[in-house]
Amino acid sequence: MDGGDALRDLLIEFFELPKTTQREKLTQQAIAKWDSLAMVQLITELQLKFKIDFALNEIEHLRSYADISDCLRCKGALRNPDEEE
Amino acid sequence: MTIESDWRLRHLPDSVQAAAVGAVSRPSWLAVRQALAAFDACSTEMQGPPCVIHMLSTFNVASIESALRFGLRTVPCRPELVIAPLDTLEQQIFDERSPLYERPGIATVVFWRAEELLADFFWPLSRSEIGQGQKRIDEVCQRIRDLAEAYLNRGSAALFLSTVALPVACGSGITGLKVPGNLNHAISRINATIFELNATDSRLRVLDLNWWAAREGFCHYDTQMDFLARQPFTLASAMSLGLFLARNLRPLLLPRRKVLVVDLDDTLWGGIVGEDGIQQLKLGHDFPGNVFLRLQREILELKNQGVLLVLVSKNDENEAKEAMAQMPSMLLRWEHFACHKINFNHKYINVREAAEEIGLSLDSFALLDDSDYEREQMRAFNPEVLIINDRSDALHMLTSLLQSDGFDAHYISAEDRSRHREYELRAARTARPVEGGIEEFLSTLKLRAKVEPVGRDNIERVVQLLGKTNQFNVTTRRHQIDEVKRIISQSGSIHLTLRLTDRFGDQGIVGVLLAVAGSEDASLLVDSLLVSCRALGRGVEDVLWAEFINRAIDSGAQRVRATYIPTPKNGLVAGLFDRLGLTPITRAGNGTEYILNPLKRIAWPAWITVQ
Repeated sequence: MDGGDALRDLLIEFFELPKTTQREKLTQQAIAKWDSLAMVQLITELQLKFKIDFALNEIEHLRSYADISDCLRCKGALRNPDEEE
Repeated sequence: MTIESDWRLRHLPDSVQAAAVGAVSRPSWLAVRQALAAFDACSTEMQGPPCVIHMLSTFNVASIESALRFGLRTVPCRPELVIAPLDTLEQQIFDERSPLYERPGIATVVFWRAEELLADFFWPLSRSEIGQGQKRIDEVCQRIRDLAEAYLNRGSAALFLSTVALPVACGSGITGLKVPGNLNHAISRINATIFELNATDSRLRVLDLNWWAAREGFCHYDTQMDFLARQPFTLASAMSLGLFLARNLRPLLLPRRKVLVVDLDDTLWGGIVGEDGIQQLKLGHDFPGNVFLRLQREILELKNQGVLLVLVSKNDENEAKEAMAQMPSMLLRWEHFACHKINFNHKYINVREAAEEIGLSLDSFALLDDSDYEREQMRAFNPEVLIINDRSDALHMLTSLLQSDGFDAHYISAEDRSRHREYELRAARTARPVEGGIEEFLSTLKLRAKVEPVGRDNIERVVQLLGKTNQFNVTTRRHQIDEVKRIISQSGSIHLTLRLTDRFGDQGIVGVLLAVAGSEDASLLVDSLLVSCRALGRGVEDVLWAEFINRAIDSGAQRVRATYIPTPKNGLVAGLFDRLGLTPITRAGNGTEYILNPLKRIAWPAWITVQ
């Protein structure tokens, strides 16, 4: 199980964003590089990092930090917010 | 897939090697990106030459572009991948204004797979025209032939056609196998068509994706990615595909290793002849002798491909010779080796001496030796030598030799195949004592030269010589076939090849001179002048030059300009143009420019008969 910021760090590194980028800004709408090609690689990266497999119906809803973190929490790959330090 | 011991990365800084190894051993897209950034940060010399590669595919390769580019970095080169829109083969190949022809690179690669090429073959019993399978296969084969023909009529770069891999996402097909024109039958027919095409034109090459997929196994396929993005590979297999692509393209950019140095004891046979005696040596059809026998078989095949064999062993020569002659299972014989160094000197010194005798530089050499010590010593003192194996186990040596890409070549010429004989004869030529001077000796060889223009029959050999001649090469311009065609089609150009024969046999084409009309009136500019190292010291360059100057005069030229561009390997020709009577105009670090004005007819060397 990994910490919540691991997802933020991964998205920031993957999309080459400033390290200070807020979680709310991590959305497909706000990030120009988050196109369909990047999405394909991002899914692989998330599955490798968090050691999970996304179901097909989950993939189409992964459009932001919030979407991904919700999905990862459901799979037990991220702590719930109240567990975070 | 391994990259840890890849000799092509050894010249790179440790941080780059670590990034590359990390990207392969623990693949992630971020690791790939970091490795590519590490390559980018190296000097351009370390990165290798820039090259454009066009890619056409029936499936999505854009999303694995960085993995493919990573693989190509190991050539080494600076690849630019131009990926055509998905599944637009006809649109790209039949359009004369397509980027394939407007901006040709070193190669065009066509990837296709059964899912798109043979979609209706997946469900043969659901087809409306059951029983028409053979006809449909014929149609697909014809489509492939038409695409290849259209490309070859328009394009100049090499065309790599991938074979079709057996699909993973399909049923077992047991029932379908009874249906005429079933999927597996269709794939084998199509792959056969691709192999048949491969033999028809030297620009065509097969990228054997079917072989690659078989080696990777079913786990190379990513069902999720295929349905999500029409991208069928896992990340790990995309990385492997990049390295496989690099292996296929590498022979376009780098010459192959020409010499294999092999040890005797525990390499060509099991045991040590000097200690165990001939009777105890292991070689034959039973284990473990069968491993050594197979090793010998593979080495003999390399010899037949034109790789020179050199025997280097710390042994008593008579004892070694006797063992080779007496062992009934021995495939490799004494005379299969172009050079023998059986003594107790350091092997790295023996290899240096062999390089000098054969007339090839150490970076043409590879070594197969069971001794960790000898390999390490070779690595330390002759770092240019490619070490094939990194362990002493015979089975490891065999698999290392089978997997080595050091001897890869797309095209093996008749000259390559007879190279061993040529070097054997070369030894005979140099060994023969002759009284009198060198010209007298050369006269005894009964040298005959045939000078012909570059044309359809010899252009492949010309490109091969341009690509691999290092020592006697005044400009070292590595022209590909399209550039040579452009030069020979230019008005006023003079382009010559020289075939050399002596009393020992035909050495094939050993010299090339390319010259184009200069920018000023009535001048010719020497683009390339080279002589194969197998024919050095015979006066080949004098014949080529005399023939060139005489033809230049006949064509109305009044002066000739030439350049010597120094490289670490062509010091041999630093003074060539001075010797030929040209006047240096400018000397700079990047070369010396010469002029010959006026032109006067030149006689051929007395010891060569010119046809």
